[in-house]
Amino acid sequence: MRADFLERVRRYSFLMTLVFAAGLGYLVSVGAIKLWIGTARGVYDSAWVGALTAMVVNSFLSLTGFYVVKNSVERDRQTGVGQILASTPMSKPLYTLGKTGSNLAVLAAMLGVLAVFAVVTQWVAGEDPQVRLWPLLSPFLLLALPMMALVAALTVLFETIPFLRGGLGNVAWFFLWTAMLSIPVANEGKTPDLIGMTLVAQDMEAEVDARFGDADRGFTLGHISNEEEAQVFRWQGMDWTPARVLGRLSWFALAVGISLIAALFFDRFDPAKGRMRLPKRKKKKEEVEEVLPALPEHVTLTPLTPGSAFRFPGVLAAELRLALKVQPWWWYAAAAGLVVAGLTAPPTGVRQIVLPLAWIWPLLVWSPMGNRETRFGTGELLFSAPRPVGRQLPAIWMAGVIVAAAVGGGVAVRYLMAGDFSALAAWAVGALFIPSLALALGVWSGSSKLFEAVYLFLWYIGPMNRTPELDYLGATGRGQPLFWLAVTTLLAAAALAGRRWQLHRD
Amino acid sequence: MKLTIEGVGKRYRGDFWGLRGFSLELGPGVLGLLGPNGAGKSTLMRILATITRPTEGRAAWDGADIVAEPDRLRAVLGYLPQDFGVYPNLNAVEFLEYMAAVKGLPARAARGRIDELLTLVNLTEARKRPLGGYSGGMRQRIGIAQALLNDPKLLIVDEPTVGLDPEERVRFRNLLSELGGERIVILSTHIVSDVEATANGIAIVDRGRLLAHAAPEELLRQVEGRVWEWVLPSADLPAARERWKIGSTVRRADGVHARVVSEEPPPGAKPLPPSLEDAYLHVLEAHRGERMVAA
Repeated sequence: MRADFLERVRRYSFLMTLVFAAGLGYLVSVGAIKLWIGTARGVYDSAWVGALTAMVVNSFLSLTGFYVVKNSVERDRQTGVGQILASTPMSKPLYTLGKTGSNLAVLAAMLGVLAVFAVVTQWVAGEDPQVRLWPLLSPFLLLALPMMALVAALTVLFETIPFLRGGLGNVAWFFLWTAMLSIPVANEGKTPDLIGMTLVAQDMEAEVDARFGDADRGFTLGHISNEEEAQVFRWQGMDWTPARVLGRLSWFALAVGISLIAALFFDRFDPAKGRMRLPKRKKKKEEVEEVLPALPEHVTLTPLTPGSAFRFPGVLAAELRLALKVQPWWWYAAAAGLVVAGLTAPPTGVRQIVLPLAWIWPLLVWSPMGNRETRFGTGELLFSAPRPVGRQLPAIWMAGVIVAAAVGGGVAVRYLMAGDFSALAAWAVGALFIPSLALALGVWSGSSKLFEAVYLFLWYIGPMNRTPELDYLGATGRGQPLFWLAVTTLLAAAALAGRRWQLHRD
Repeated sequence: MKLTIEGVGKRYRGDFWGLRGFSLELGPGVLGLLGPNGAGKSTLMRILATITRPTEGRAAWDGADIVAEPDRLRAVLGYLPQDFGVYPNLNAVEFLEYMAAVKGLPARAARGRIDELLTLVNLTEARKRPLGGYSGGMRQRIGIAQALLNDPKLLIVDEPTVGLDPEERVRFRNLLSELGGERIVILSTHIVSDVEATANGIAIVDRGRLLAHAAPEELLRQVEGRVWEWVLPSADLPAARERWKIGSTVRRADGVHARVVSEEPPPGAKPLPPSLEDAYLHVLEAHRGERMVAA
């Protein structure tokens, strides 16, 4: 576990992780993220700031933390270290528990950064500069840390179950996270609340009710602009009764349990298990291979006949084939269904449901864009071929645009037939924006996870929850296509710059 | 067809020079690049394959600077890196079709070439199997095939025989010899027998410096009359190593048969015809000795 943790903290990506945590902390400290009970807020003392930051951790870091730490088992698999470990007496439960511990250590380091920012937040607010350690840190230890333990364990579980190991697992986590966040709040604490939101809300509401009278108050965590209307009260901090403490600590036990379940699925890096298992008949072929035909006396390769000088269509076709090769038949069937739905559904449904669905379906086709070379180690082969920036990268991008246009094609035809050119313009910008985002994030992060996380979040908050500011595909009818076109241009430029940097960084 | 390398150097982070002051001029033929692990061979390979930019110096293909105009070289380059990956869900034909498209080959010409290459690297039987199920040797052969796709004028192969079984290794060495007739082939390895079998020129590299560049015969001449077979008890071997330049050793019933490179024979040693391995060790040791004296 220690070696794994050291390996991870010495990576550049860990620094970026801390920067992300610091960014979240900064948003809290400058008041961009606030916590209100109805129209009331607490004095920014240690208790309030500690709870506020812990809630930010549980709401946001629980989502992103998964994507941050989810690759530790995969890294062992890819580097071959896994096979060395598998040949030692180390047991499977010990391995999965160790990985959970190492994941938790990385997430705890992010918590540490945010704890420092909590103190900064308290001092910046200047309402009560006296730092009291237990009220400040107890939300981190009892609210945030158990949540992070569960995230750490679930990450290992996802990495050990073959079909959850890749992009499908990243998508599944997003929806699981959404459910974990929303169901306890919707059920007002009747279902187990891992985030701890209802626990904190009940405690705070009790004090607000005592101070300002009983009322039906909502709990808001996020950007709040009408600061002058706030009723300010001093919150005494969480009343950590033994039952509450035990309730929170039980999540650690669940994390251990999940790690042990992960051990059941863990293949101990045996390549004969899982996706790469060869059919039995293949062995016979290898036996045949042992009889090697002799080389001809002189090796001559047929001279190549020169073709057209314009080779872009060939590269584009190759990139398109590569992107779509792994998709099973049912993926195409569902994509065809979405095209038909776009052509036949009622107009409002087309805009608000069919198009968002059509442009989430190819998520795993887009997410390897710009990082496939890094993931599979083909970079040196491709970057020593002519025009890796001028030809291959635009071909990857164009392949992504074609996929977007094809799956969303039914909707486009519908807009065209209805003469709704503003919707068609938004559609066109969306079809350009998504591959640009995938390519830029893929090139710069070297992984598909960042795009999967960012795009899912954007898609969920923007088109699905009809937030006009984040509606990049025109689902609300109030989006800003010109703005998204500008963003698209910037992202495409970032992808080009990133690929250039990759080529010349040594 | 000419590759010119003039004073090329590469500095990595921490002021570490992986390569320094490297100069060479190459025409058609096979150049064996020999050196111990970490000598700078792969750094040179990556610079010549336009993957890495040199910190100093200049490399040119037919007079065109490969940093300023990399695509002129890339169009005629075949490159097999030391470590490379493949797309596991593609089969051999699909992968080579993809690589052919990326290299800018017309589709029809590529199809014929792929069939030819799969026969050449003996993967016709396995052509429709996903690459994810290939053994290390089979994967290496796919790497060789992709390097030959565009009928390269410059073929750079970095440790190409790693993972190949002895029979495949011999076959690949023959292939390189054949190909070297009409193009420049640079073969980087630390396996001297691979170079011995294929190269008509040898460059010996150590600690980022070019120590020698000569024909194999020239290198062999340098150790002519200086190679001895010495039979000694195995218990005496550690002490003997302290005093003599000992290459390969073979244990037999009568003791250890050691190859010694030295002006004077050890007591009781018999002369042997020199091998390229003797010449390689002699060059390495001579330069290391000079460096120690200088220090």
